[in-house]
Amino acid sequence: MIYFSEMENLPTYDGKGRYVGVLTDLLVNPSQDSNRVAYYLVKSPKKKLLCIPRDQMQSISVRAAIASTSRDDIPAYSPDEGLIRVKKDVLDQQIIDVTDRKVVRVTDVDFDIDPGDRHTNLEIISVNIGLAAAVRRLLQGMFAKHTTRMIAGRFPTRTIPWGVVNLIESDPARRVKLRISYDKLAELHPADIADILEELSHDEQKSVIESLDDETAAQALSEIPTRMQVSLLESISTGKAADLVEEMPPDEAADVLQELSPETSAQVLASMESEEAEDVRELLGFKENTAGGLMTNEYIVVGDSATIEGATAALKIFEGVLELIHAIYLIDRDCVLVGAVPLARILLADKETSLKDLSQDPLISVPFHADERTVVATFQKYNLVSLPVVDDDGRLLGVITADDVLDVVVNHH
Amino acid sequence: MPINRERLRRLRINLLIFLSVLGPGIITANVDNDAGGIYTYSVAGAQYGYLLLWTLLPITVALVVVQEMVARMGVVTGKGLADLIREEYGFRTTFLLMILLLVANFSNTVAEFAGLAQGMSVFGISRHISVPLGAIFVWLLVVKGNYRVVEKVFLSACFFYVAYLLSGFLAHPDWKRALVGTVKPTFNLDPGMIYMIIGLVGTTIAPWMQFYLQSAMVEKGIKLKHYKYARLDVITGCFLTDLVAFFIIVACGATIFESGHRQIRDAGDAALALGPLAGRAASALFAFGLVNASLFSASILPLSTAYSVCEGLGLESGINKRVHEAPTFYSLYTGLIILGALTVLILTETRQIPLILLSQVANGILLPVVLIFMLRLSNREDLMGEHRNTRAFNWIAWATSLVMIALTLLMVLSLFLPNTLPR
Repeated sequence: MIYFSEMENLPTYDGKGRYVGVLTDLLVNPSQDSNRVAYYLVKSPKKKLLCIPRDQMQSISVRAAIASTSRDDIPAYSPDEGLIRVKKDVLDQQIIDVTDRKVVRVTDVDFDIDPGDRHTNLEIISVNIGLAAAVRRLLQGMFAKHTTRMIAGRFPTRTIPWGVVNLIESDPARRVKLRISYDKLAELHPADIADILEELSHDEQKSVIESLDDETAAQALSEIPTRMQVSLLESISTGKAADLVEEMPPDEAADVLQELSPETSAQVLASMESEEAEDVRELLGFKENTAGGLMTNEYIVVGDSATIEGATAALKIFEGVLELIHAIYLIDRDCVLVGAVPLARILLADKETSLKDLSQDPLISVPFHADERTVVATFQKYNLVSLPVVDDDGRLLGVITADDVLDVVVNHH
Repeated sequence: MPINRERLRRLRINLLIFLSVLGPGIITANVDNDAGGIYTYSVAGAQYGYLLLWTLLPITVALVVVQEMVARMGVVTGKGLADLIREEYGFRTTFLLMILLLVANFSNTVAEFAGLAQGMSVFGISRHISVPLGAIFVWLLVVKGNYRVVEKVFLSACFFYVAYLLSGFLAHPDWKRALVGTVKPTFNLDPGMIYMIIGLVGTTIAPWMQFYLQSAMVEKGIKLKHYKYARLDVITGCFLTDLVAFFIIVACGATIFESGHRQIRDAGDAALALGPLAGRAASALFAFGLVNASLFSASILPLSTAYSVCEGLGLESGINKRVHEAPTFYSLYTGLIILGALTVLILTETRQIPLILLSQVANGILLPVVLIFMLRLSNREDLMGEHRNTRAFNWIAWATSLVMIALTLLMVLSLFLPNTLPR
C-alpha cells in the first residue's frame, strides 16, 4: 500500500541510475483499465514534463521510482483529455460516494504496488477522506516518510473503494472521453440522488441530470428545492427540459413551470407531448398555496355504477405513479364526486360488489380555493392519506396526496 | 401610451429580480462596519475632523473591485472561495489559510462582543448581562432559523445603520467643510495620519468578507443571467457601507474633534462623548448603531468562519444540516461565540490587546494571499470562461491589491517596530 501523498515529488531515476526528475502525477487510462496507473508524469529539473508508460516503470517505493529505460528515451508529455490525472482530477476534488450516497472531498488516494517480473504496476484501491489522510497531507515532506506514517496512523482513517467512486466532470465531451457514467448513481433512490445534486455546483448538477435517463432525472428533479429546479431547467435545452417535465408528476411539473420565466415556461409546455401538457395546463390555472395548487390530476376515477371489476380495469390502464394511488373516486354523470373507495377495501371485496357500497361515509373533500392551512388541518383531523378537491358544484377536479401535504408542513416550520 | 406601459412593466420585473437577488452584497458590506470599523471611523473623525473623509472614495472603489470579483466567481463557478482554493492550491495551503482565518475571525468576534458591551453600557446595562444575552441571541438565530429568516433578520439589521445617518445630522456638522474634506485629499507624512489611513483601509477590506460573500452568492443560488443584478447588490452595499462610515466620521468630527478633547478609548466612548456635545439623542443613536452592528457581525463572523473552514477541509457544513450531520461546523460556530463572549467577560481590555495584535497579524498575512489567489482564480479560463477578468479590470484589480498588500504589511510591521510609525 502506498499513498499518493507519499509519491508526490518522489525522486525518479532511469535504468542506469541517472536522475530523471520528480514524480508529479499519475495517469489512468479508463478506456483500458480504470484502476491501473497507465503513465507516470515526471517533472525534469528543467521543468519539462516527461511521461513514463507503465511497462517501463521498474519499481516504485516510498523512496524512489526507477524506470527501466534510459532517460533520453522517455517521451515528453502531451496532454490527453482522455486520461484521468490523479492529482488534477481526483485529489482535493469532490466525488460522489455511491455507497454512502454523499458528496465528499478527496484528501488522499491509496494505491497497491504490484511488483511484476519486468515492471511494477500501481492499482488504485480507494480514495481516502479520513483524518489520517489529512494529517499525512499536512506533514508531507516535513518528516521522514515512515515517521509521517506512524503519526498519521494514530488518527482514524476513512476510505471509499475506487469502484464506488463516481468522478464529477462538468464538461460533457471530457465526460465521454473519461467514460464517466452515472449508472451507479442512477440505481440510488431518486431522493438520495436529489440530496447529492444539492451538494453540487450548478454545472455539475447539469452534467449529472443530463446523463441520467429521463425518468430517474425527473424523479430526482422533483425532490430538489424549486429554485434549483428552475435554474437547472432554464440552463438545459428546451427539448430536454420538456422531456423531464413530462416525466414529473403533473402537480410538481405545474409548480416548477409557474416559477420559470414566462417565455421558458411557454416553450417547455409547447415542446411537451400534448396529453401531458394538457394535464399540467389544467393545474396551472389554480393559485399556489390553495388546494387547487397542491392537487394532482393523476388519479383514478370511475362512474358511480362501477363494480370492483371496473375498478381493477381502471387500475390496469392507469399510467401514472401507482404508489401514489390510495383510493378510487366515483363520479356521477355530471362529474360530481359521489364516493371514494380505499384500495384495501377493493382487495377484499367480491368482483361483483358495487363500488358505491364500499364508499367511505361521510365523504370528505375540499373546495379548490381552500387555503393550505385548511388542507393540512383536514388531513390531520381525518387522518387522511389523500383528499379529493372539488369545484363549487361538487365536481371532482383533482386529488391531494399526503406527500405534498408533508412538504407544506415541513416548509412552514 | 403602450410604450410607456411596456417600459414600466420591464422596470417592475427588473426591480423584482433585483429584490430577489438582493442580500449577500449588502449584508457583507454592512457587516464590514462592525465594532472595529465604527471605532476606527470614530477615531478618524475625532482626531482629524473632516480631513480624512477623502480616503472613503478610493476605499469604496477598492472595495467594489474586490467584492465584485468574488461575487462573480461565486455565481460563475457555483463554488465557495475556500472550495476553489482547495481545488487549485491543495490541502496544506488551504489548511494553513483556514487556521489564519480562524485566528483572525476569533479575535474579530471578541471585538464584536466588546462592542456590544460598550454600546449597551451607554444605556447603563452591564456587560455581564448584555454579552451572555447577545451570545444566546445570535446562536439561536442561526441554529434555529433557516436561511431565508436569517437573511431577513440580517437585512433589517442593515436598515438600522440609518441610526448613524441621524446621529450625523444631529451633530450639526459644517456640511461645506465636510464636503470639501471628501473631495480634496489632504495628506502629509505625519506618522499618526499614515497609521490612521492604513487603519481605515484595513478595517474596510478584510479577508473574511471575500469568503463570506462568495459562499453567500453560492448559497443563494444566483443565476448567471441575473448576475448584473447581483453586481448592483454588491456595489450598492459598498456605497452604503462607506456612506455610514462618512456619517460616523462626520458625527465625531463635528463634535469630539471640535471640542478639543480628541482621545477616545473605544466606540462606546465615542457615543458617550457625543452626549454633551450633540445631545442625548445623538449619543443614544450612536450607541444603538454600535449594538446593532456588533450583534449583526457577532453572528455573521462565526458563521462565515465555520462555513469557510468546513468547505476548505471538505467537511459537512450548512445551517440546513442537523448537528450530528455537520458536527465540526456546529462546534466551530458555537465555540467561536462562546469563547468570544467569555473572553470579553473575563479579560480586561488591556489583556485583550495581544489578541487584537494577533488578529491583525493573521489578517495581514491572510489578505495578500487571498487577494493574489482571487486574482489568479478569476483569470482562469477553465473556471471563469468568458466571465474572467478583462484586461482593464485586471489593471485596476492588481493595482488595488498591491496598494492593499503594501498598506497591510506596513501595518503589521508597525505593530512590531512601533518606531517606524509612532502613533
